Amino acid sequence: MSFTNEQLERYSRHIILQEIGARGQSKLLKARVLIIGAGGLGAPAALYLAAAGVGTIGLVDGDAVDLSNLQRQIIHSTRTIGQSKVESARQTLAALNPEVKVLTHQGLLKADNVLELFRDYDFIIDGTDNFPAKFLINDACVLTRKPFSHAGIIRFQGQLLTYVPGEGPCYRCVFENPPPPDAVPTCRQAGVVGAMGGVIGSLQAMEAIKYLVGVGRLLTGFLLTYDALAMEFRKIKLPRRKNCAVCGPEPTITEPFDHEPPAACEL
Amino acid sequence: MPDFIIDATVDITDVVCPVTFVKAKVALEELEPGRVLAIRLNDGEPVQNVPRSLKDEGHQVLKLAANGDGTYDLLVRKGAD
Amino acid sequence: MNLVIAGQTKEYPEGLTVSRLIEAEKVATPQYVSVSLNDEFVKSGDFGSTVLREGDSVEFLYFMGGGG
Repeated sequence: MSFTNEQLERYSRHIILQEIGARGQSKLLKARVLIIGAGGLGAPAALYLAAAGVGTIGLVDGDAVDLSNLQRQIIHSTRTIGQSKVESARQTLAALNPEVKVLTHQGLLKADNVLELFRDYDFIIDGTDNFPAKFLINDACVLTRKPFSHAGIIRFQGQLLTYVPGEGPCYRCVFENPPPPDAVPTCRQAGVVGAMGGVIGSLQAMEAIKYLVGVGRLLTGFLLTYDALAMEFRKIKLPRRKNCAVCGPEPTITEPFDHEPPAACEL
Repeated sequence: MPDFIIDATVDITDVVCPVTFVKAKVALEELEPGRVLAIRLNDGEPVQNVPRSLKDEGHQVLKLAANGDGTYDLLVRKGAD
Repeated sequence: MNLVIAGQTKEYPEGLTVSRLIEAEKVATPQYVSVSLNDEFVKSGDFGSTVLREGDSVEFLYFMGGGG
């Protein structure tokens, strides 16, 4: 647990905090967080975690930066349009904090790579934009006993929950199965305020930091919902589902599987 | 300064505020409560602020002695966690 | 009878089922809403047969898939 003078300066606002201190900061420096999706949620989450000195940040995304992303995906820039999102994000994180090791995984998260990708990480952040991926992340985390932060955003609304093995319901307890493709509107169709990714993605980063340092109460057993127009946060208590297919006492899901891909609707 | 057994030392003359305090705090975190840390610090702002900040954090300032070369030695006993 | 819907107390007639409440509350995606009743999830197949009682607390949980 020895810091260089430069580290003491960079992380001084953390180290001064009684709840983090040198001990907490060195936990962050050794921690490994995987972020699925370098988009509206993943961008702010990755930026704050890199700034916080999280030692290793993994990024999974199969897309390239598009002009329409820049309204909210603040890790990318006009200059990196056309580049892969993971590479664009890696450059931004390296410029922000060269100490952080960024591992990029260009491609989609699938049942056949999820266990391998998750294996070496301490905490997973779901920053994806589709239900098949959200259910896959949940199942893989429950099956391999990994904590994760789930979130979703649309229009002026956002919500998130934190799963920690053995400490409360999983995402599948709340929503048993993905809705059929296009049954529930996506951001692409319905729009989203860019700052919503900032609010909810930053809360995901905060949950990761609290988990890694080991302080405070996590959002386990609750769904936090944010309605920006009403300017209302609600923390809704979540029960466990008695017969949850993945985290219940007699699970029927015993290995990760791919759900139907999202409809290729372009507006 | 013969009256206390010094368990560890840290030199914070190579950094400026607020890293002075942070460096001292980190050195204290590595010690068990009750142990004594000797801190070498500069005159001026560090000598005015660091002892007070450490006191606020619950540590006990035992002694502050000028070395005559613009630096001081501060002895601090670590408080309970 | 009084029900607590999403934290707000509301007056509803006796005998109301979860299905009727979903209609009355104008839930946007009635087929895809999750319902918790007094801190227990109601199976979606049981919405029509689950009758609400005085003081029941109901939460609606909605899919939110965006994030990219």
